[in-house]
Amino acid sequence: MEGYSRNGEISPKLLHLIPQGTRRNWFHDDQASVYNTEEKKLELKLGPPGEDEHEDGSSMLRHIKKEPKDKSTLSLAGKHFSPSSTTNKPTSQKRTAPGPVVGWPPVRSFRKNLANGSSSKLGNDSTSNAVVLKNQKCDDDNGRAMTMEPKRQGGLFVKINMYGVPIGRKVDLNSHNSYAQLSFTVDKLFRGLLAAQRESFGEEEKPITGLLDGNGEYTLTYEDSEGDKMLVGDVPWHMFVSSVKRLRVIKTSKISSALTYGNGKQEKMRS
Amino acid sequence: MNKALKFPMNYFPEEVIEHIFDFIASHRDRNSISLVSKSWHKIERYSRHQVFIGNCYAISPERLIRRFPCLRSLTLKGKPHFADFNLVPHEWGGFLHPWIDALSKARVGLEELRLKRMVVSDESLELLSRSFVSFKSLVLVSCDGFTTDGLASIAANCRNLRELDLQENEIDDHRGQWLNCFPDSCTTLVSLNFACLKGEINLSALERLVARSTNLKSLKVNRAVPLDGLTRLMSCAPQLVDLGVGCYENEAEPESFASLMAAIKKCTLLRSLSGFSEVASVCLTAFYPICENLTSLNLSYAAEIQGNHLIEFVQFCKRLQLLWILDSIGDKGLEVVASSCKELQELRVFPSDPHDEEDNNTAVTEVGLVAISAGCPKLHSILYFCKQMTNEALITVAKNCPNFIRFRLCILEPNKPDHITSQSLDEGFGAIVQSCKGLRRLSVSGLLTDKVFLYIGMYAEQLEMLSIAFAGDTDKGMLYVLNGCKKLRKLEIRDSPFGNAALLADVGKYETMRSLWMSSCEVTLGGCKRLARNAPWLNVEIINENENENGRMERNEEDEREKVDRLYLYRTVVGTRKDAPPCVTIL
Repeated sequence: MEGYSRNGEISPKLLHLIPQGTRRNWFHDDQASVYNTEEKKLELKLGPPGEDEHEDGSSMLRHIKKEPKDKSTLSLAGKHFSPSSTTNKPTSQKRTAPGPVVGWPPVRSFRKNLANGSSSKLGNDSTSNAVVLKNQKCDDDNGRAMTMEPKRQGGLFVKINMYGVPIGRKVDLNSHNSYAQLSFTVDKLFRGLLAAQRESFGEEEKPITGLLDGNGEYTLTYEDSEGDKMLVGDVPWHMFVSSVKRLRVIKTSKISSALTYGNGKQEKMRS
Repeated sequence: MNKALKFPMNYFPEEVIEHIFDFIASHRDRNSISLVSKSWHKIERYSRHQVFIGNCYAISPERLIRRFPCLRSLTLKGKPHFADFNLVPHEWGGFLHPWIDALSKARVGLEELRLKRMVVSDESLELLSRSFVSFKSLVLVSCDGFTTDGLASIAANCRNLRELDLQENEIDDHRGQWLNCFPDSCTTLVSLNFACLKGEINLSALERLVARSTNLKSLKVNRAVPLDGLTRLMSCAPQLVDLGVGCYENEAEPESFASLMAAIKKCTLLRSLSGFSEVASVCLTAFYPICENLTSLNLSYAAEIQGNHLIEFVQFCKRLQLLWILDSIGDKGLEVVASSCKELQELRVFPSDPHDEEDNNTAVTEVGLVAISAGCPKLHSILYFCKQMTNEALITVAKNCPNFIRFRLCILEPNKPDHITSQSLDEGFGAIVQSCKGLRRLSVSGLLTDKVFLYIGMYAEQLEMLSIAFAGDTDKGMLYVLNGCKKLRKLEIRDSPFGNAALLADVGKYETMRSLWMSSCEVTLGGCKRLARNAPWLNVEIINENENENGRMERNEEDEREKVDRLYLYRTVVGTRKDAPPCVTIL
């Protein structure tokens, strides 16, 4: 949330999924003035996804904790919390990263998933994209096929939205073989729309570059099958394709906040 | 003086009194009746068929059955409201099974079961389906813990099933053939809603079921039903009153589209429309033929439909009484609603982008709210998510709509002040409570000091439920509310600086309330312990996510000044519950 001071680590779970080897230079680049000191404390850890899962699924809330109640650091809220005479005992507060506020805004999980719905997603969310509607046992007397036909043969369409452009598009990942190709497609899809949004006075449309390396004004991110938000380009292409559910082009300056809004686990209460 | 003249009712035979009681449906009135005299209590007991239990831990199944042996319809609510927003651990409680078990053993003639935020298992559903011969209606809202196998039991065994209504439940979809399990002899369905199921269903089984259910009035399908399927369903059921639409991912073929429109035209009784979760805008246009008849429209899941298409559609829905929509409709869209939908009673505007990830300029503001209040004289319930608000707007809304029963405003950014004056929104909300004398439910947001609670305590005389987040300055705020709102039943507070002084000031107040929730506030373990000691009729629950068995032991030695993460207390006549998980400590 704007105005919320974030001191502390970003949820470690999200960063588990970014292999240490390909750590981005600009994450720790002191020259990058866009990032404040908090982001520099980010530690990229290596670990398998779901490492922190508890059986009862209660891990979701562990990762998204409110910041400690140290009143002096709450910039906006600070005015309205009366200074507490009893001090907080940091040790007894087992809270970690500030991150997004749990359960805010008060919108049910069912609604939060809306914008994320990729049309190819039917059945359990944990199903990877490659196994859609496969091997369905059909007891139908007439032997008629199950309801939904698979999407156009061989096509893997995921939604893609871009910051600043109200219209979303769809990308067929199966017709791409590499991140470079994808980046090119994104540029093609959005260059004109973006130019139309900005009131460029007779300027030519600017190409959208630097989507993958953090150098551009925009960066390509994606949401995986578990709802986590990640930077595009870190994992091998085929791994990416099998887990990506949705793409987003965000402003490079908004990276840290965008990635911490990974409320995916909250919605998957039963997975 | 002849006693018969003074106390005429005592001379009526019981059957007559019972007959009179039959006309009294409201459970509150029934509760009052039962307090009049011993004989009335007895008569009322045996004639009560519908029971509403707002907190399943306030009473036990056995006591319920002892008191109301002729029970036919039961409503049960489990987890506290904030469980909807992931503030309650999944395993907290609210299990259905003990209830079904007890009802089954006592051979109660259960016909109707309505559950909200309960944990339901397949075993419970199976037991339910086999235990109650006359079972007719199952409504599950925001429940979890079961799979489509449980639904299969219901379908297979409930011979007289009229209603199966699943709203926003987390159901493990085994993609089985549960719809096939409705026997061919089952023709009694009036309402079928499986919109929340995520998996595929057997379309032909559904079509056959719909075709033979000639009384079917309400059908809400899930996203596995494509356009062609929907067309066939509607052709079999032109008598539908309430329709929930599935998914049309691709642009419809012109032919399919034409068939759909033709089928829709025949549904002249259709009054309520919902669903559209992954539907392209063009498919909404198929419903133009009947949009003038609609009284209820829920497009709050229609993330794919753009604002201008929403506006085009809604402007023709002149008879709308209920509208649930996304904020992509924008202020302009709300102005159109205000000028077109003069019968509007309930409006909910949900955020299409809750975390402000997209550069969304079409969200709604105070302008839309004021327009609605000015244009819709019958409006009494509103839930409004917006990015900004002003006192002036709220004061205007209060003047325009003194009839609000429910007013829930959620400004997306916590602590946000009046965006023009930068002041708190105390005055705005104050105007609302002062003007809306019948207000029963209120949710506040934005920058708020203790003053708003002073206003609420002073003016909100009918208030029953209050939701507070990121508001207030001192304990006085909470005290104003507890002391002032005489009819308060549910109070839920998060991230506000209220502490022990407020919590403990009037322990007796909690006996008049159903429950109190406080999370991320200033109450301490010591305060909660003191409360529990002074109020044995309350269950005082501390929820701490990180607790395990060891943790619980440690806590007894820990400092009582430690702040409590989540506190949930409720009145109960059956004492401490036995099914609490390790993360819940009952003091």
